[in-house]
Amino acid sequence: MQFLTLLMRNRLAAAGGIVLSLVVLLALVTPLLPLANPDVTDTANRFLMPGAQGHLLGTDHLGRDLLARLLHGTRLSLAVGFAAAFFAAFFGAAIGIIAGYFGGRTDNLIMRGVDMLMAFPYILLALAIVAALGPGLTNALIAVAAVNIPFFARNIRGVTVGLAHKEFVDAARLAGLGHTRIILTEILPNVIPVIVIAMSTTIGWMILETAGLSFLGLGSQPPQADLGSMLGEARGALITNPHTSIVPGAMILVIVMGINLLGDGVRDALDPRLRSGALTRPMPATRVERKGTIPDQGDGEAVLSLRQLQTQFHVKNRIYKAVGGVDLKVAPGECLGVIGESGSGKSVTALSVMGLVASPPGVITGGAVYFQGEDLVGAPYEHLRSLRGDKVAYIFQDPLATLHPLYKVGDQLIEAIRVHHPVGRSEARARAVALLKQVRIPNAESRIDSYPHEMSGGMRQRVGIAMALANDPEVIIADEPTTALDVTVQAQILSLLDELRRERGLAIVFITHDFGVVAQLCDRVAVMYAGRIVETGPTEAVLNAPAHPYTSRLIACVPELGGGRRRLEAIPGLPPAVDRLEPGCAFAPRCLKASAACREGDIALEGPGMRAVRCIHPEAELEEGVA
Amino acid sequence: MKQGMLNWTRRGVLAAGTALGLALSMGPAAAQTPPGVLIVGQIAEPKALDPAAVTAVNDFRILMNVYDGLVRYKSGTLEVEPALAESWEISEDGTTYTFKLREGVTFHDGSAFDAEAVKFNFDRMLKEDHPFHDTGPFPLAFFFSSVEEVTVIDPLTVEFQLNAPYAPFLSNLAYPTGLIVSPAAVEEYGADYGRHPSGTGPFTFAEWESNTHVILNANGDYWDGAPELETVVFRPITDANTRTAEMLAGGIDLMVEVPPVALSEFEGDDFTVVEQAGPHVWFLILNAKDGPFAEKAVRQAANYAVNKTALVENVLEGTAEVAAGPTPPAFAWAYNEALEPYPYDPEKAKALLAEAGMEAPEVTFFVTEGGSGMLDPVAMGTAIQADLEAVGFDVTIETYEWNTFLGEVNPGLEGKADMAEMAWMTNDPDTLPYLALRTDAWPDKGGFNSGYYSNPEVDELLEKARVSTSQDERASLYQEMQAIVQEDAPWVFVANWKQNAVTSSAVEDFALEPSFFLLLRDVVKN
Amino acid sequence: MTGYILKRLLSAVPVLLGITVIVFLIMALIPGDPALAILGAYATPENVAKINRDLGLDAPLVARYFIWLGNMLTGDFGTSFSLNRPVIDEVLDRFSATLLLAGTSFLLCTLLGIAAGVISAAKQYGWADKGITFAVLLGISIPSFFLGMMMILIFAVELRWFPVSGMKMAYGGGGFADVANHLVMPAFALAVVATGVVARLSRSAMLEVLRQDFIRTARAKGVREGRVVWGHALRAAMVGIIPVLGIQAGFVLSGAVYIEMVFQWPGVGRMLVDAILKRDILLVQGGVVFVAACYVLFNIAVDVAQSLLDPRIKT
Repeated sequence: MQFLTLLMRNRLAAAGGIVLSLVVLLALVTPLLPLANPDVTDTANRFLMPGAQGHLLGTDHLGRDLLARLLHGTRLSLAVGFAAAFFAAFFGAAIGIIAGYFGGRTDNLIMRGVDMLMAFPYILLALAIVAALGPGLTNALIAVAAVNIPFFARNIRGVTVGLAHKEFVDAARLAGLGHTRIILTEILPNVIPVIVIAMSTTIGWMILETAGLSFLGLGSQPPQADLGSMLGEARGALITNPHTSIVPGAMILVIVMGINLLGDGVRDALDPRLRSGALTRPMPATRVERKGTIPDQGDGEAVLSLRQLQTQFHVKNRIYKAVGGVDLKVAPGECLGVIGESGSGKSVTALSVMGLVASPPGVITGGAVYFQGEDLVGAPYEHLRSLRGDKVAYIFQDPLATLHPLYKVGDQLIEAIRVHHPVGRSEARARAVALLKQVRIPNAESRIDSYPHEMSGGMRQRVGIAMALANDPEVIIADEPTTALDVTVQAQILSLLDELRRERGLAIVFITHDFGVVAQLCDRVAVMYAGRIVETGPTEAVLNAPAHPYTSRLIACVPELGGGRRRLEAIPGLPPAVDRLEPGCAFAPRCLKASAACREGDIALEGPGMRAVRCIHPEAELEEGVA
Repeated sequence: MKQGMLNWTRRGVLAAGTALGLALSMGPAAAQTPPGVLIVGQIAEPKALDPAAVTAVNDFRILMNVYDGLVRYKSGTLEVEPALAESWEISEDGTTYTFKLREGVTFHDGSAFDAEAVKFNFDRMLKEDHPFHDTGPFPLAFFFSSVEEVTVIDPLTVEFQLNAPYAPFLSNLAYPTGLIVSPAAVEEYGADYGRHPSGTGPFTFAEWESNTHVILNANGDYWDGAPELETVVFRPITDANTRTAEMLAGGIDLMVEVPPVALSEFEGDDFTVVEQAGPHVWFLILNAKDGPFAEKAVRQAANYAVNKTALVENVLEGTAEVAAGPTPPAFAWAYNEALEPYPYDPEKAKALLAEAGMEAPEVTFFVTEGGSGMLDPVAMGTAIQADLEAVGFDVTIETYEWNTFLGEVNPGLEGKADMAEMAWMTNDPDTLPYLALRTDAWPDKGGFNSGYYSNPEVDELLEKARVSTSQDERASLYQEMQAIVQEDAPWVFVANWKQNAVTSSAVEDFALEPSFFLLLRDVVKN
Repeated sequence: MTGYILKRLLSAVPVLLGITVIVFLIMALIPGDPALAILGAYATPENVAKINRDLGLDAPLVARYFIWLGNMLTGDFGTSFSLNRPVIDEVLDRFSATLLLAGTSFLLCTLLGIAAGVISAAKQYGWADKGITFAVLLGISIPSFFLGMMMILIFAVELRWFPVSGMKMAYGGGGFADVANHLVMPAFALAVVATGVVARLSRSAMLEVLRQDFIRTARAKGVREGRVVWGHALRAAMVGIIPVLGIQAGFVLSGAVYIEMVFQWPGVGRMLVDAILKRDILLVQGGVVFVAACYVLFNIAVDVAQSLLDPRIKT
């Protein structure tokens, strides 16, 4: 049911489905329609044009009614196309599953055979089969099905190999189930969606191929009509009477297009990634739909200042308020920590600064981002791009995914430099080596020619940092840059960053979920929860006297400060879904001190000086902290 | 009205494609072919250019312009006249033919044409111990199976000794199988001779590029006067539709075997359609051995049931005439004028079926997809099937590509089918009935009587006509045979084809021959 | 790398041997007789038997196979009886024509297909995307022989922009411009389906890649969008596109059969169809082995290209 809803949601697929249903319906009721006999010839009235008396689509070269032949032909072609797809899928899947499941020599033998058949021009194979079996539509069907078996076999084998060593299959084996049983109950159900996808995308192809064989005169036997043979027979009169070719040709086109549209829809609906709508590409810059007034810059000292920033994700009919009005600022030489659980909106906040939130689905809906006094929200793309990497640079988590796997690290560094500074390649390379040395990569001269996969995680992260430093930016936004690393490497990287900001006076926004890291590096800290900042202040002050219950719970999870990686999972319950935020404090459902007042109305972020908390039952009285 | 609607459809197609085409356009308009160069659209790639080795009319069209035979058909007829032989004598008993050869004729390769060359040609075909017999096979060698010995009397006199009188002998010599090749060239190229032909004809072979063209140049020294054309290019275009398109687009100057449906395209001043009836008969072999057609009444019923007039006038667009019997009217002297075709009479057919006690006989019908002289076999087969169904037959068609079809039909229809399409183009009234209607021509005896027709009377008439040296006597024997065969109805007699061709307006003095050969010596191309 | 290529070449040997067995068996199993093609309508059973003897077709199957294989290994593919010509000469002639046609089409479908896919992905849901998606769908839904017929009707007969058929002018042709002019329509008609397939695949591969973190990295560096799409993203997407190009090459080669028939292109596809119909056993066997070997080699080349492109693949 869900499948059907999904399918119908795709308008093109729905159109394809409707067209195809109409055609199938027509084909089904054809024998009941008051049509002329498709096989009765009337040579005196041959080649009548469409619209002729009693012949809606005219007549063919023997004076037979084209409409009747078209509908009967469609019936036959559809049946053959579906049957061929089914048989090819059935036998192909059987072979593929056997090869994939048993593996080893069986697999090797079968797949070599499949390779051989695939190297054989398929149309010749089909021709040879028809030549051996004799002409006729059934034989054409067998030929078309047979030549497509290798494609299915290869496809299904690939999937089966992946499944054959999954835990549930091993478990079934240990439980002593027979091979047949395992294949039927464990493997097959998981392979069927793939088979259906492959089938739905090949039916159209099958109809074309059967038509091709009929076109070569190897399909249906006269007087029986199928679309291919109609086209083949009409071909002789193509120049004088094009309508006899166009009628079946257009029908093939309509059917195959319908099937392809529907097939795409089926594939999209069955493919879990496509189903989530995840297969959309992000635009170069996040979409901006700013409503309401634009806040002013506020504090003039900050190099970067976020004011009431709101970023949302619009997915189908839902709106996820990932960032719900965030104020942050960072001054030159300062390091600001932003901390929170996964999904708290801290990364989205960071990415919003340079418009790097994936869009769709991301939309910046309010607030402002001031960089050196200039609002970047809604700035022209080209201006944004000129700042990216040059004035504001990012360091991302998981450098294996964030570095391009097919470019040498040196080239990626050189590119970062040359995008903003028109220097020669050799000069850029020299600078890249210098950068690698600066982040303490040993043998920088040779490592510059390495690919990311040839480096260790720590080395890759250093490359990421070097890339961020390439143009001596004003601000570095580091999004969990150490999460994927082990403790010693993490410590090295943190000290490296600390050193750089002191030497170069750059501002760092450091995003993490680890208070230990914050304590090591950051001057100030902002705690985020459900897309909003719930507490902020100098690191020392917040750590020593957390005011928000959430902050204190976070800190409580870290038994010994600076003792390495600490996880935050220890808070019972889950963060709220940001598409269904209740009024009041978002933490209330998980908070031990929550009262009715907590669930009513907006609670302001208030406090003296640099300290502020968004709570009506703070754990401690706020004292004005000192940065 | 029809024309108007037609243009409308055409314009629709045009509009759909024009936008696309504009984007791609860069080609110049198709250039007219140069004067003096004639481009002929052929229906297939030639198999070989060795006249002894080929059987297809398509190949003959090239060969007749490269080679000469001892004799040839007089223009516009099927009567023989001198060619490389200036004259000949036939002995009283009809078994010795003595030819006086033309003097001073040379092959294109420079070697001289003489009696030795003639002997070489026939020995190569007929004698298994000839050093160049292995350059075969020679499928039509049986045309000369009556030749016992070829003797060189002097350089310009050659004698053929036959083992029995054989009336079609001269006519067979005029057939492409009797064309004379250069012995020197055969000796030089051996089995590869078919790609390096050398004859005495009006054109010399220049180039053969596989599936692209065969080019002939004028032979300025031709003994019968140099041709007008400088060059002839034969282009194989197997697809009839593409061939028509090429003709319309000006890519070829001359096209043979115009598909009937395309004829209307060539009505304007830019083209000339040429027609010529020839010795062709298109028929259905009926299986007289087993199945419903073992009954004569059922065979006759089939003859009445098929609307032959509709076939030739509509399906074939008037490119053929209704056939009355087994002998085409093109053999005027041997044709029985008194014979009227079976009329189209479905009621009579039903009555005959009822009489034979067969209300709905089941019939398997072999149809071919193409083939030499088969006209439009699938469409015709389909129309015939519909006609037969209309009188109560229950017909199942099986189509086969030509070579497979022959493989099914030639060994006989017994146990496989009840009827099969067939067409023959022959050069003598003897050939077809002798090979396909005699009792001794049943497939197991090496003949082509695939329907197992057998009538001792017919056998006798044919044997007699074959050895008679009097044309008048032969004529009356054949006419008698035709009447009997028509009555026995071993075949459904359908059509005699009028061969057709289209030339562009630049081509002059082109005519088709009843022999189906394509003679280009006198053709002018402006 | 050399070792890798050698290894791949070695592994192709059993595949090719298998193909020789398959094609040999198929030709042995097909009913019908080569003698008929030689003798034409005048084939009598007696003559047929004689010719089969001459062609050596009366020897036992296994012996015939090994004789053929042995000859082929010494470079002797035999002689085509239907053409009276050495098989290898004919196959090389015809294959070069097909190579020109299929190669051009392959190039067209690769360039156009990838370009369309990239543009479509980069402008996802925009007008360009919708237009391309529709055109591609139309392309993969239209029978190529039908398209070819319509193209002849429109561009050759009516508009006379291009010649109807053949590879060069029948007389005095053969120059580069002439062949190119003849090539336009068939190459385009042949490329349409494959272009559609490549475009669809490129689009989804690009969509997949554009979501990757390294694309965000490139953007965060300030790389221009054109280079992000056509450089970073396409380079990574090619890893998924290239193997499919290998498979498409096979489809283009097979599709060439129809196109060669419609446009009378003197290629190997039409030759093989004719040869199968005429039961020209040696020509079919030689031709198929040759085509299959080229296909296998091409796919090895594709794998090599893949490993050059993607340093992560162990060679």
